Parts: sequence; structure tokens; C-alpha cells
Amino acid sequence: MISRDFNNWQLAEAFKAEMLPAVELAALQTRLETDPVFATEFHECVRMITALNESGKQKQFRNMLVNIHHDQTEKSTKPNWKVRTIPLRTHYLRTGAVAAGIALLTTLSTFWIVTHNEKKRSSQYSLLKRELETIKRSQSAIIRNINTPQNTTPVAPANFSGTGFAISNDGYFVTNYHVTEGADSVYIQNKEGEYFKAHLVTFDKTSDVAILKVQQSNFRFSKGEVPYTLAANKKTLGSKVFTLGYPQDEIVYNEGYISSKNGFLGDSMQYRLEIPAVPGQSGAPVVDNSGNVIGLITGKESESSGTTYAVSTKAIHRLIANSDLKLKLPKANKLSKLNREQQVEKLELYTYSVKVYKR
Amino acid sequence: MATDVVYRQHIKIVGPWILQNGGSESDVGDVFQEAMVVLYEKAQQEDFRLSCKIGTYLFAVCKYIWYKKLQGAQKQPGFLPDNAGNDEGRDWAYEDDVNAYKEREAHYQNLDIALDHLGEPCRSLLKAFYHNDKSMQEIAAEFGYTNPDNAKTQKYKCLNRLRKIFYGAQTKMR
Repeated sequence: MISRDFNNWQLAEAFKAEMLPAVELAALQTRLETDPVFATEFHECVRMITALNESGKQKQFRNMLVNIHHDQTEKSTKPNWKVRTIPLRTHYLRTGAVAAGIALLTTLSTFWIVTHNEKKRSSQYSLLKRELETIKRSQSAIIRNINTPQNTTPVAPANFSGTGFAISNDGYFVTNYHVTEGADSVYIQNKEGEYFKAHLVTFDKTSDVAILKVQQSNFRFSKGEVPYTLAANKKTLGSKVFTLGYPQDEIVYNEGYISSKNGFLGDSMQYRLEIPAVPGQSGAPVVDNSGNVIGLITGKESESSGTTYAVSTKAIHRLIANSDLKLKLPKANKLSKLNREQQVEKLELYTYSVKVYKR
Repeated sequence: MATDVVYRQHIKIVGPWILQNGGSESDVGDVFQEAMVVLYEKAQQEDFRLSCKIGTYLFAVCKYIWYKKLQGAQKQPGFLPDNAGNDEGRDWAYEDDVNAYKEREAHYQNLDIALDHLGEPCRSLLKAFYHNDKSMQEIAAEFGYTNPDNAKTQKYKCLNRLRKIFYGAQTKMR
């Protein structure tokens, strides 16, 4: 048995080396054809020897190459082919570093400009952001925080202010919901500085509208009925608009235009306006040329751009329709024939600052 | 020596290219040596024929190997030179040669593993004979056999065991 196996190997080696005499080769051929067990064994032997031989030769060749390589690098410590090496990652790193540098510079300079301009409001900025998170909008809500309490304020500090406007002379008043959100008590203040306590009547959180009512009986905003109307349909793109608000204790006038009929993220209850707005102007009326109130300012895109968003008065109409308020909206527009100065003069009487006190 | 000359001449061309494409100097050595082995294997074939210059062949093979290596390492070459793989519209010239080489390489590796499982003195004996090209006389002297014939008998015994391990393992794997 053993010797037969050895014979196989011997035979295979001889066969491989082509050293078999013709007679034995012929005998091998016939045996391979007639004896399949032997044939498989024999072929395995041949393949094994071939593989061993070849892998051995290849290893020798590899060793030779390694030696050549060593020779070469030893002979010339520096390789004799010189090339400027710019490895890829380093290359990208440099570009990346430049880009990062520019980005850093931009960020820092923007930050500097913002903080420089808003030095006084730097502490209010974060408050605005917090307000933002609670109403889950990425717009920055425009509420002004007043750090120093007014001399006549009835409650302790930590309060916010916004703007609002009358919708009926007997004390109904509109502002943004986010202004009044979480309020402990709400006061409205006219341009003379008089305070009136108000309470929340109804609100719509999604469209960010709240209706307040002044608590004092026999309260009147001004002598006459509310002189403007609330637009029931959306104004066309490009309409000139103006607004009055209380970013500070003085009333402030701004003008701009409707830059898109839909608001933030395509919100159809909003307008997108190009009009300057600063914290404290949330809830300020947006009025077109003929004296129709078309909406109220609710937020802005960022600190650095003039893009502002306003809730359409459609939202107010809808809110009133859904509630059971006995509320008579103004029907006659007395501003349409007046010039801008006169319009503003009238509107001032019905635009109040909203002071919100929170514990 | 022919290999020496071929090596020295062509690494000058391939080396800088690999360096430019994100390789280090040890990469140059590895890739070029692998390409040389591919060429060597191809030269062993009976129908060996090269339709282009050796340099062109080596360069193309090196490019392919290097590209595959980068791909394996999940990074792309920053750029491929304009003359990369322009061999009659084929993306990679001599890709088949490299793949055949890889396949054979795997086969050899299995063989080496089987050899390692063989145990002493068979492993050393077979290595001495096949890898280091020693004659039976030398082996007989080295391993302490009385004559070359005894060493030869031992070699056949070893081959038998190797065959069982190698083909046995292969049938198990299937």
C-alpha cells in the first residue's frame, strides 16, 4: 500500500519532469484511462507537485525582488527618482484648513457685528431663543424683554413686551399668542404710558393669534369706532405695507412690502414681508395703503435680514368665527382717503404695547 | 540579471505615479513587486506573449493594483491621470492577469497553511526541497538521513500527508 503510494509520487515527479520513457508513458496513459481511482490520485499528486514547485519558484522570485529593492534603497538613501510628494490627505487638509479658516472668520465677524449692534440686547437674545423653542418655530419671535421694571408696573420684573391693536372699541384687542404665552398677568399700555389690565379671551396656538379683553368696564380705546377694517382675503404680492409697534417705549413706524403670499415654510396663514422688525414688535398691525389691516407681525427670519413674517388677518377672522365671542368687527374703513401721516396718527390711538408679567 | 534591470528601470516610472496618487514609499515597493510577480507568472505560461512594452504592461498592472488597494481602503484616488486605462477603450488593461494572479495567490496560501499544519520534520523538509531548491543530498545531510534515498522516502511520506491535509481540507470546505 505504502510503496504503491510512493510509486505514484515517483511516477508523478517523472511525468512532470517529462522524464518517463515512452513505454512507461504509454502504460501510464492506459492505466489512467482504465483505473479511475488511480487517475484521481495521480492527478492530485501531479497538481500538488506543480503547486509546490510553482509557489516555491514564486517565493524565490519575491525574495529576489525584495533584495533588489533593498539594494536600491541602500545604494541611494534618497531614491534616485525625485518627485514632489503631495500626499492626498495633506492636500485636502490644506484646502480644508483654508475653508475652515474662512468659515471661522465669517462666524466670528458676524458674531462681532451682532453683539456689537445688539450689545444692550445680548441678554435678551437668548430669551428670544427660548421663547422660540417653546413655540417650536425657527423664526425668532419678536418680543422685547424689559430688564428694568417700569415705575408703575404692578408686578415684579422678568417680563416681556409685544404690540397689539384694537379690533373693537369696547376693549377687544389682538396680539400674538407667543407674547401672552405663560403669562401671569397681561397689561396693555398706550402711548401716553397708561396701563390697563387685560385677560386672555381666546387664542390659536398654531396660527399664533390671541384675543385679549381689557377688564376695566366702560373702557374705550379712543373716542370713535375702530377706523380700520381687517382684510378677509390675502393681499397681492408686492403690496406696500406699513406697521406700527413698540420695540421701545416710543411707538415706531416702519414700512415695507409683501415679498411672498405664504410665510415661514410655506405657511398659508402667513405673509412674508420685507420690513424691518425688532424684538417688541410681535403683534404689531400690518396695514396696506388704503388702511386695511392685513396681518400682524409674528416673527422674523434671522437677526441680520429684514425678512419678517406676519400672520394674516384671515387667522383672526377664523379664530373669532370658531369662538362664541359677541364681537363686532369694524366694518367701515375711515383711513382709505387719508394720507399716510394722517393714517398713522389715527392708527396710533388703537395700537398699544402689551406688557406680560411672568412669575 | 534581467529582473534586476527591469526592476530598476521601471520603478522610476511607476514610483512617482504612486507617490502622486497618495501612496508612500513602502506602497511603491509593495505594488511594484506585486506587479513584477504578475509579470513573472504570466511569463511562466507557455503561450506567453506581450503585446506591448514591458514598461507599459507594468505601469498598467500597477495602476490597477493600486486602484484596487485604494478602493479596499475606502478612499478614492484624488485623480487619475489622463493616460490611465486608455488601452483601446478598456478601463483597466490586463485586469484578467491580475485577477488570475490573485486566484493563484489564494491557492498558494492554502497550500502554505496545509504545510504549516504538517508538523516537523515534514514542513522543513518540503520547504527545503521546494522553496529553497535544495537537492536530496543536502537535505539528507541537514536532516540526518543516512542517504538521499531515505530522505526521498521521507519526502514521499510527507507529500502523502500533505495531500491528505490539503485535499481533505478542500473537500471539507466544499
